[in-house]
Amino acid sequence: MSRVIELLKQNSQLSGWRVNETATKSYELFFVHKNLETVRDTDTVTTGVTVYVDHDGKKGESSFELSAAMGEAEIQKKIDAAVQRARLVFNEPYELPDGGVLDKNLPSNIWDADPQALGREIADAVFAADTVPGGSINACEIFLYKDTVRVRNSRGVDKTQRIGRVMIEAIPTFTKGTESVELYEDYRFTEFDAAKVTAEIARRMAEVRDRFQAKKPQTPMEISVLLRPMEIRNLLWELADDLNYSAVYSHGNLHKTGDDLQENGTGDKLTVTLKAQVPGSEKSSWFDTDGASFRETRVIENGVVGSYYGSSRFGQYLKIQEPTGNLPCLKAEAGSMTKADMKAKPYLECASLSGIQVDLFNDYIGGEIRLAYYFDGEKTVPVTGISMSGKLSDVLKALRLSSETVIEGAYEGPALLLMPGMKVL
Amino acid sequence: MSFSTYLNEKRQDCRELVEALGKHFQYVSILGTDVSATVIRADRKMSMVQDGRGECGFVLKMHNGRSFIEYSLDDISGDKQALAERILRETQVDSKLQSKMIEAPVPADEPMKQDFSRENDFAGYDDASLLDTCKKLSADLVSRDDKVLNAFVIIQPYHVSKLFITQNRELSQDYGWANGTMMVIYNGEKMSQARFGDGAPSIKEIMEILNSGMDQVIDLARHLAKAKPIEPGVYDVITDPSISGLIAHEAFGHGVEMDQFVKDRAMAKHCMGQYVASPITNMHDGAAATHSVASYFFDDDGVLAHDTQIIKDGILVAGLSDLASAAQLGTTPTGNGRRDSYKRKAYARMTNTFFEAGKDKLEDMIASVKHGYMLFQTNNGMEDPKNWQIQCTAEYGIEIVDGKLTDNYVSPVVMSGSVPELLKSISMVSDNFKVIGAGMCGKGYKEWVRVSDGGPNLKVRVKLG
Repeated sequence: MSRVIELLKQNSQLSGWRVNETATKSYELFFVHKNLETVRDTDTVTTGVTVYVDHDGKKGESSFELSAAMGEAEIQKKIDAAVQRARLVFNEPYELPDGGVLDKNLPSNIWDADPQALGREIADAVFAADTVPGGSINACEIFLYKDTVRVRNSRGVDKTQRIGRVMIEAIPTFTKGTESVELYEDYRFTEFDAAKVTAEIARRMAEVRDRFQAKKPQTPMEISVLLRPMEIRNLLWELADDLNYSAVYSHGNLHKTGDDLQENGTGDKLTVTLKAQVPGSEKSSWFDTDGASFRETRVIENGVVGSYYGSSRFGQYLKIQEPTGNLPCLKAEAGSMTKADMKAKPYLECASLSGIQVDLFNDYIGGEIRLAYYFDGEKTVPVTGISMSGKLSDVLKALRLSSETVIEGAYEGPALLLMPGMKVL
Repeated sequence: MSFSTYLNEKRQDCRELVEALGKHFQYVSILGTDVSATVIRADRKMSMVQDGRGECGFVLKMHNGRSFIEYSLDDISGDKQALAERILRETQVDSKLQSKMIEAPVPADEPMKQDFSRENDFAGYDDASLLDTCKKLSADLVSRDDKVLNAFVIIQPYHVSKLFITQNRELSQDYGWANGTMMVIYNGEKMSQARFGDGAPSIKEIMEILNSGMDQVIDLARHLAKAKPIEPGVYDVITDPSISGLIAHEAFGHGVEMDQFVKDRAMAKHCMGQYVASPITNMHDGAAATHSVASYFFDDDGVLAHDTQIIKDGILVAGLSDLASAAQLGTTPTGNGRRDSYKRKAYARMTNTFFEAGKDKLEDMIASVKHGYMLFQTNNGMEDPKNWQIQCTAEYGIEIVDGKLTDNYVSPVVMSGSVPELLKSISMVSDNFKVIGAGMCGKGYKEWVRVSDGGPNLKVRVKLG
């Protein structure tokens, strides 16, 4: 990084520069059933450089990546080419974030661990859940990462953060005779707790057994659908993404500050805050890619769009006094209904979706359900082979949020979200 | 553009490192990658000319007599013995896991030396002219209707150089591809976003594609601003080549990636030689199957490109494998070993995936539908190779009533259901054919590679919601 910065400093054509460097060491284990197929290790550094050129009352910028083996002459050539590219670009002027020196770790017990020993401990924790008769974990990939992220710019930003993180991709499977079903598990954390890993995989092992027993229910039906944290997070991020400064600046957003997303609604009011960190999340960060510090922001309050959020550049374009930074985590306030109350009347609780489909512009929400729990008012049974859909605006008006909250990934908020009147086919 | 000077200079380093590691492993390969990409983009408020997502580095793949070991790094300069020792040290396995390592045969290392180069016209276009084109097209789109809030035009050429060396094999390849995309944001009865785009081996063709799509993308934006949600139900459907490709890719392609066979994750493993689709269905995948975005000379395991027929007359006849899955299954690798980048593992992945053309005329297919929809433009999809459920989302559909396309647009349209039911419902296959080379595909939720898919128009019966 220092070589390129020296060259950038010497270049009189530049009005500014930024260098983003991510050094990653990883140790990776790939299991086929319980056997180890591949062991991987990586030691890589990614260095991205952005040059800024003020010209003709406008600002031009251009980015490129350095490769590790580049010599000084090659780096200089890349800088010169980027300057020429920046001169072709006539964007509105803005300032880079200024000042700020930081060198801090994000909370994690992964960083200091020996990767080879920790890899084995994680594998043990995963396969400890493989105790369901008829069940198996047909594949498991374990990724241990240690990232050092540094941002420097021409206005004195020099920030570094380190994070240790783990991703587990496991495939719980249930087989009886020639019939077999599976579920997909993507589990990420920064604090390793063997019991927690085993419990999470065991939960999915129980669910895959249920998927095996699941039948297609009588359809069509109209019913309250319950979403779990991952889908709640995805739905709320769709709403939040629409409020990013860059979407607003480029006229790509649907909602504006002051818009009531739940006008005349009868359900719980949404209050959504974007944050820098959520405990245990790999997305937690001290600063964004510009090196800008974060300002926690309530983007939706009681169902009304309260604020936009985003990067320093687009914040300046929108004349925001103190841009929030591109916040990576999301918190939703709890609702008024207990989980037990939500489950007192007929419902369909989605345990596994192909992926929730949310389309703000077309007022749509839906998805294919791989496993859900259907309560008909008397008994609860696992169901599969169905899809659900509804009008997003109707869902927003009537949704209910659980009073119980959870922390999962980069999401902190209600454990369940109820969408009344969804069509299931 | 031609093969990477950097990788050429590293050939000897690669050979020396393979030799140094060869003292410890029964098989050693090194893949060097130098991929450069450029993004040229303009809309009514901003423009951009910069490097896109590229990569430059090395990945070693080794076999210790039992299983596979990989190491990714940025540079291989310096003392090769010292580097080999570092790699040995850092790829150690905890003693308790060593006994759990699989026992797979050592891959064959057939001698071969060949350099492959595919010409392109990228050098004939400079940044300024490409940006100027994007700006003009964007301004033109904005000027066509005062309800156009913004119009984005993006041209993305990229150039691939890869070098693959083992003890007996030395291969190199370089080729290019370009994508062109337009998106219009329109404020009609409601806000809409309309997209148009494709890939091509030359920038000249991308320019032609973008110019030819101007009227189409504006017209689509106007219609989508009036589009209604579809009434969920089971319908007769005619697919455009993009949606045919999405079905080929999501419904079946992922299910025949043979690393899933090894893990008992694919139902297809048990269906070889069986009818899995209507007898008029033929499906292929392969880097050598057509010329599109995933048409390389050799894969990331150093296996030469194939044209694999997956479904022949409705019968499942073959799957797609990388080196590791083929070794475990005792089959010949099909040239489908692909990596997200040198930093990631190679998996069995699709390349260019498509249905073969049939004999029906599109107009006859539409005329045969009493009430249904014609679906257009891939939005996204999700595989389920074990259970053969699908979810494929089309950007929009047009209602067909009494054998005629109407002016009623629906959006979005999510197809879901059982893969065999869908494929066995194929009742007509058109005689036209198109592969769309602008896609990205993940495995699960990661490992992104460039893919194409497509085919003819299909008539199917499927659940829409």
